[in-house]
Amino acid sequence: MKRKLLGIIDATTYHEDLEDLLTHRSLAALPFGGRYRIIDFVLSNMVNSGIRSVAIFPKMQYRSLMDHLGSGKNWDLNRKRDGLFFFPSAIIDSDFNMVGSFDLFAANMDYFYRSTQEYALISNCFTVFNMDFRPLLDWHTHSGCDITEIHHQDGSSLELYLIKTSLLIKLIETRHQTGYSCMKDVVHDMHHGYTICHYDYNGYAVMIDSIETYFSTSMNLLQKNVWKNLFLAEQPILTKVKDEPPTKYVKGSMVKNAMIANGGLISGTVENSIVSRGVKIGKGTVIKNCIIMQKCQIEDNCYLDSVILDKDVKIEAGTKLIGTEKSPYVVRKGTKQGALMNS
Amino acid sequence: MVKKKCVAMLLAGGKGSRLNDLTKDLAKPAVPFGGKYRIIDFTLSNCTNSGIDTVGVLTQYQPLLLNSYIGIGSAWDLDSKDGGVTVLPPYSEDSEVKWYTGTASAIYQNLNYLKQYQPDYVLILSGDHIYKMNYERMLEFHIEKKADVTISLIEVPWDEASRFGIMNTDREMRIVEFEEKPSIPKNNLASMGIYIFSWNILKEYLEVDAQKTDSNHDFGKDIIPSLLEDGKKLFAYPFKGYWKDVGTVQSLWEANMDLLKEDCELNLFDNNWRIYSVNPNQPPQFISPDAVVKESLINEGCTIEGEIDHSVLFQGVSIGAGAIVKDSVIMPDAIIGKDCFIEKAIVPSDVPIPDGTVIRSFDGEVILVTKEMIHELYTAY
Repeated sequence: MKRKLLGIIDATTYHEDLEDLLTHRSLAALPFGGRYRIIDFVLSNMVNSGIRSVAIFPKMQYRSLMDHLGSGKNWDLNRKRDGLFFFPSAIIDSDFNMVGSFDLFAANMDYFYRSTQEYALISNCFTVFNMDFRPLLDWHTHSGCDITEIHHQDGSSLELYLIKTSLLIKLIETRHQTGYSCMKDVVHDMHHGYTICHYDYNGYAVMIDSIETYFSTSMNLLQKNVWKNLFLAEQPILTKVKDEPPTKYVKGSMVKNAMIANGGLISGTVENSIVSRGVKIGKGTVIKNCIIMQKCQIEDNCYLDSVILDKDVKIEAGTKLIGTEKSPYVVRKGTKQGALMNS
Repeated sequence: MVKKKCVAMLLAGGKGSRLNDLTKDLAKPAVPFGGKYRIIDFTLSNCTNSGIDTVGVLTQYQPLLLNSYIGIGSAWDLDSKDGGVTVLPPYSEDSEVKWYTGTASAIYQNLNYLKQYQPDYVLILSGDHIYKMNYERMLEFHIEKKADVTISLIEVPWDEASRFGIMNTDREMRIVEFEEKPSIPKNNLASMGIYIFSWNILKEYLEVDAQKTDSNHDFGKDIIPSLLEDGKKLFAYPFKGYWKDVGTVQSLWEANMDLLKEDCELNLFDNNWRIYSVNPNQPPQFISPDAVVKESLINEGCTIEGEIDHSVLFQGVSIGAGAIVKDSVIMPDAIIGKDCFIEKAIVPSDVPIPDGTVIRSFDGEVILVTKEMIHELYTAY
């Protein structure tokens, strides 16, 4: 497996519905599950499957993504040979929103020419899953297929494609003649003579494309069977580590059915919620059905139900915020909410 | 080599025999502490936070885990090109293996390591204590006093003073007398085992001491007394703040319990003085719908299905449904079965607790759970 497969992650995708959470970051860098960014799932899957060369193609707002990935050290991708490659797109105003644009790849053909890996795995950046790609590669190499598209159990595409690197290069080079702009075009066309196959993945996988799926998928983490399927000791989801202390539960705190990351200082009540790193929750405050992102500070005697707090949000004492499951109340990054603003 | 103003030498070879089974397979500085850390993290983080970027770590007793834990020092940002962290184990020379026989002999045998940096000052540290201290302030004090040696002191309760090395000073904080474990202490200022030496003095006294056959080759017992005898300028640097020698099962437990206080003197949440550690990269802790968590410190990767009351849980611990854990310390990856009752105990990583086990202290002593203890419990009937 080593040096047999290239990992290619398209991090240019943008979903309008997630706008409130994507003003300062790309979808790939969307915080998820208390300490992760969505891209961590596919990136860790690649590394855990033995992939040693990963190319990431981001578009605008990639500051937070670059900060998160750094040299790739946390994924063991800071290597002398191969490792992590970052190819920010030069095409700025393109509205193209399909996974794996050939124009995007064409701007960095040298990466593909120089790679010695025989196969390439092209992936989206917004799927929450823990998948071992090794059985897929085995299956693909024995099937005689030219392109394998990975499907979820319900038959929907996971927008993950396995292809020979040489064929990928050919598809990119001939894109103007063929009219294919991305992998989806190729897979959906019947006239090119390539063998297209499907590979069914039966594990847990959700594509995050709206606030509603983001909220429900986050809440699903509180189900033991989901949690156990995503966080496997032998296939860990790796992320940028922070030197946060363990979470401290102060006298008077009450916590139930929650996922809580490190560095927290919890004095209030937390129920059915996901709490990220370094969050402070004041005395007498009740947090229910919420997603609280990194470094939020919620002062005393607040009441939050079905709320998403983006990073660095400050909620002043006595504030009440209520959303619904279908439409959670979203507070944008770095803002302050006071008790009076909302009454 | 680039010349360094100050190089730290961290003595991390101690066995810590009063920690019983906890140090059976690892050196005392590697003992887990505070839900996430190992004891040595505090000293190494102090170095990084004090701007000391060259640290020699002297290991001897059970060094395997400690050596691999320290690695190239990246966890503490000490993996730098000039200096950084260097693990210094004892080595053999010609026909002789030179074990470190005392604190002074350990430094003496690594004079070559120090010489390559031509330091002006050498900071001698021990990897056995829990505290946060800015060594830069102490170095400024040392330079200001034009001292030959500066020793860091902490006020201890009077009734405990006879357990420590006690320093008697004049008004200018110059040390006039040193008494090792005096029966009637004149003072309650105890040595913390932290020394700053001016390089020439250190080299000279270590070389002389190494030739003495009747010496213990120990800083407290030999080097400091002979410096005093020669009228060298020894100054006391008073330290205020949390400092704990976690040398016994009881004191290790107490120091962990200290962290649960709301106004804990040892603040782990200070962003300006972070305690760095090798991060395990585990998922956030999961608190189940039936779990109860009260006044505790819990690290990532834990799965809590029972009740946790006033306890410290390290990463990856799993607590079964119906179990109650009170006033206890649960080491990394330990497994506590369903319906257990554990009170005032330290549960090590490698002792799984079967469902329904009751462990409680009847005499107030902290219980260090062992495999034998569990085995006995289950064969007695």
